Amino acid sequence: MDVLNLAHGAFFAWGAYAGFAVLNALNGLGWVETGTLGQGILSVLLALLAALAIGGVLGLFLERVIIQRVYGDHLKQILITMGASMVLAEVIKVLWSPNNQTVLVPLSFTGSYDVMDVVINKFRVVAIVVGLAVYAGVMAVMQKTKLGIIIRAGVENREVVQTLGYNINRIFTGVFMAGAALAAVGGSMWGIFREQITPAMGDENLIFALIVVIIGGMGSVTGSFLGACMVGLAFNYVAYLVPKLALGANILIMVIILLIKPWGLMGREQ
Amino acid sequence: MDLSVTATPLMETKDLCVRFGGHTAVDRVNLVVEPFTLKSIIGPNGAGKTTLFNLISGQYRPSGGGIFFKGQDITALDPPGRTALGIGRSFQLTNIFPSLTVLENVRLALQSREKIGLNFWRHYGSLSHLEDQAYHFLEMVLMAPRWAVPASTLTHGEQRKLEIAILLALEPELLLLDEPTAGMSLEEVPAILELIRQIKATGQRTILLVEHKFDMIMALSDSIAVLKEGRLICDDTPRAVAANPVVQEAYLGGGVKNA
Amino acid sequence: MTGQAPTPVQMERQRQRARRYTRPGFLIQLALLACLVAGPMLMPSFRVMDLVAKIMIFAVAVASFDIILGYTGIISFAHGMFFGLGAYSVALICHYSQPVQYHHLLLAGLLAALISAVVAVVISALSLRVKAIFFAMVTLAVAEFCHILGYQWSSLTKGEDGVSFKLPGVFNADWSGGSLWGTQINGRLLVYYLILVVAVLLFVGLVRFVRSPVGRVLKAIRDNEQRATALGYRVFRYRVLSTVFGSLVSSLCGALFAMWLSYVNPDTVLGTPLMLNILLMVIIGGLGTVYGGILGAAFIKIAETWLPDLQKLALSLWPKVEFMQRLAERWILLFGILYILSVLFFPKGVVGTLRDRAEVRRLRRLGRP
Ligand SMILES: Nc1ncnc2c1ncn2[C@@H]1O[C@H](COP(=O)(O)OP(=O)(O)OP(=O)(O)O)[C@@H](O)[C@H]1O
Ligand SMILES: [Mg+2]
Repeated sequence: MDVLNLAHGAFFAWGAYAGFAVLNALNGLGWVETGTLGQGILSVLLALLAALAIGGVLGLFLERVIIQRVYGDHLKQILITMGASMVLAEVIKVLWSPNNQTVLVPLSFTGSYDVMDVVINKFRVVAIVVGLAVYAGVMAVMQKTKLGIIIRAGVENREVVQTLGYNINRIFTGVFMAGAALAAVGGSMWGIFREQITPAMGDENLIFALIVVIIGGMGSVTGSFLGACMVGLAFNYVAYLVPKLALGANILIMVIILLIKPWGLMGREQ
Repeated sequence: MDLSVTATPLMETKDLCVRFGGHTAVDRVNLVVEPFTLKSIIGPNGAGKTTLFNLISGQYRPSGGGIFFKGQDITALDPPGRTALGIGRSFQLTNIFPSLTVLENVRLALQSREKIGLNFWRHYGSLSHLEDQAYHFLEMVLMAPRWAVPASTLTHGEQRKLEIAILLALEPELLLLDEPTAGMSLEEVPAILELIRQIKATGQRTILLVEHKFDMIMALSDSIAVLKEGRLICDDTPRAVAANPVVQEAYLGGGVKNA
Repeated sequence: MTGQAPTPVQMERQRQRARRYTRPGFLIQLALLACLVAGPMLMPSFRVMDLVAKIMIFAVAVASFDIILGYTGIISFAHGMFFGLGAYSVALICHYSQPVQYHHLLLAGLLAALISAVVAVVISALSLRVKAIFFAMVTLAVAEFCHILGYQWSSLTKGEDGVSFKLPGVFNADWSGGSLWGTQINGRLLVYYLILVVAVLLFVGLVRFVRSPVGRVLKAIRDNEQRATALGYRVFRYRVLSTVFGSLVSSLCGALFAMWLSYVNPDTVLGTPLMLNILLMVIIGGLGTVYGGILGAAFIKIAETWLPDLQKLALSLWPKVEFMQRLAERWILLFGILYILSVLFFPKGVVGTLRDRAEVRRLRRLGRP
């Protein structure tokens, strides 16, 4: 929606910490490390839900208090969300600790499936399913529903949509919240998947998100999807060959794509 | 070769088209502008006059056709390149540097003309001759007393005059003036028209003028082109255009705008 | 023009020329320079000299960032990275050349300039064509990449441990040359003066840049890009030029910084906190003012030296409350909040606000004929 939000990584980290806190609390009930499959699923769901909620709340707060003041001013958006990202990461360090934390993973999600000699981590399957569901959901909302049309029109021209009687401010707040909540959910899944979280994880993943969006082209969900696939594949493949150059390979891809298509794979000019 | 140079028009468009989505805003326009003449372009609102200017000055890329300046194909040239060749334009909607001073606005045009833009070691103070020249151009449009204020504090009419001063300072061979008097108060209009008349009288410049005030351009123009719905429907002497029944119908039918 | 009365423009110019050396701004600069030169003699405290040297380096780094952000209106998150490239150039060359000699310093400076120029040209040529946002994103990604490289290319950079090195000859910390008027002449002092000379030269260069024809065009582009294009300026070239220039100066600042510390590591010269510090300084000093860099750098660096005291205060006030102590430890949080508030409510910074006042006075004098 034409807001460059560098605090996205911070939502990601907050989601991870929220999920981590929930899992820790539930472990007190004996649900996580020792519980049954049902309890395991429930606790992951609760963790994701907590991430969703915290992402939504943070998104609401940030949009209402800060971002609304700087709509239309890209420079200030970048500057201010950068600051917000730093503040959010620092608050994590105050609330939890500056150090790494180990995430407890429900018993039923550890281990892996063995399908015809290919070892597949169990939680990876969950992550893929959720990821595809989110992609499909966002696509459906943006392309098929009236809300999607309003949002896309609102990005092009706020005033016109406003005069049509839609409260564009409220809609934008909602979109921003949704974005923040999705980032938080992603973060908590990442945390469970990696079994480790750090306050800096937001920044690290923001870089990937940025590369994905640059490659995919801004404002295109499908572009982002394509970009993510390329980045993920390249990262893992290069990480397998020369681990240290994995990020470098992605930067290289980004540079090449910018050379060929300066607006990204699916980005539109102007 | 030398003979043919005199025969080539200063600027020429060949089958120029531009489409926005499905809408053809400029449709196969063949416009010929002879050197040292003043041609006016008239047409109802939305006829494509500003769009045509945007094509000639390079702001828009044509969907088809070509643009030639002194026989050279400039269709692929970017706006700064065209400015360097000698095509300068003013904008229908005032387009100045609001937070810079009036003098600085004009000085920037002079600096561009002298091609010292990419120089970063030279001290600004050594450019004082440009300031003096800029002041001279402000005097021409009767804006000299306002030289020191930021352009954003000018009245609308003053901003229009500044716009013209900027254009004049570029000293282009071909001046594209897009409704220079639009939005001006009635008292200010004669001074601007007089200025245009003077520029024309020097015999050094070629002017392409978009204007709605039909009676006023009648006396000023060497020829008048009429655009309607993106098409050039007539291009002739003022007298012939005024008498043309198609034009009368089109123009009056489209409603004469009176600013 | 002979025989004619001077125009108001000429009169104003004469007036400005006449007061050139009596303007308060000029006098303040002169006094500041005198203090910087005489400082180590008058106040022989290492802590103060350390602070002042860092302020000088960061003032120039911030001013060069201001060229990119304030004057050109594009945001580069790679400014800290260029700083780090310069710092690592010096550190690695001095570390790996045995014995280290003066020409190695020169070589390091040239290398820093060359690398940063090449990297800046590549990055800006790739992404400035598109949109300012793209540039911000690409620079962020590349800068983070360099940060990670600093960690992981440990055969060269020694990773997290960082590189410590010795400076040649009289700049070496162990060198001592007796005393002059009661001041110890030693390697540190000479490095201080080297920093002073280079920083002043760079700063003059920056000021000159913004007042040059290019600086004027940059202002015009920031004001109205479309009009600048129609006037015949190729916006893209100007943006690239200013980005490259600013980045190059930043890398030289990094080289000075490395010389001052005789040590670099990825987090201090390549990490995000450095970039955030520069951002904070530029915002506080005032965007688009160049001189704001001095104020911003001084404010933050002085605050940083005071913050440990704040921590001690918190420790003594709430000896039991762990939360408060963690809060005091995280002073970056305070800076972050200050930063957000400045962007929102004090966007012109100190120097910008002062300039606005001066502009009002100027208009009162010249505005209405
Ligand atoms: N960038 C654009 N995108 C889409 N449509 C455009 C664009 N520019 C112009 N048009 C359309 O082209 C048509 C011609 O517009 P133009 O501004 O050239 O008219 P005009 O003759 O200058 O009218 P006026 O007398 O009001 O100035 C209009 O229908 C306009 O909506
Ligand atoms: Mg028009």
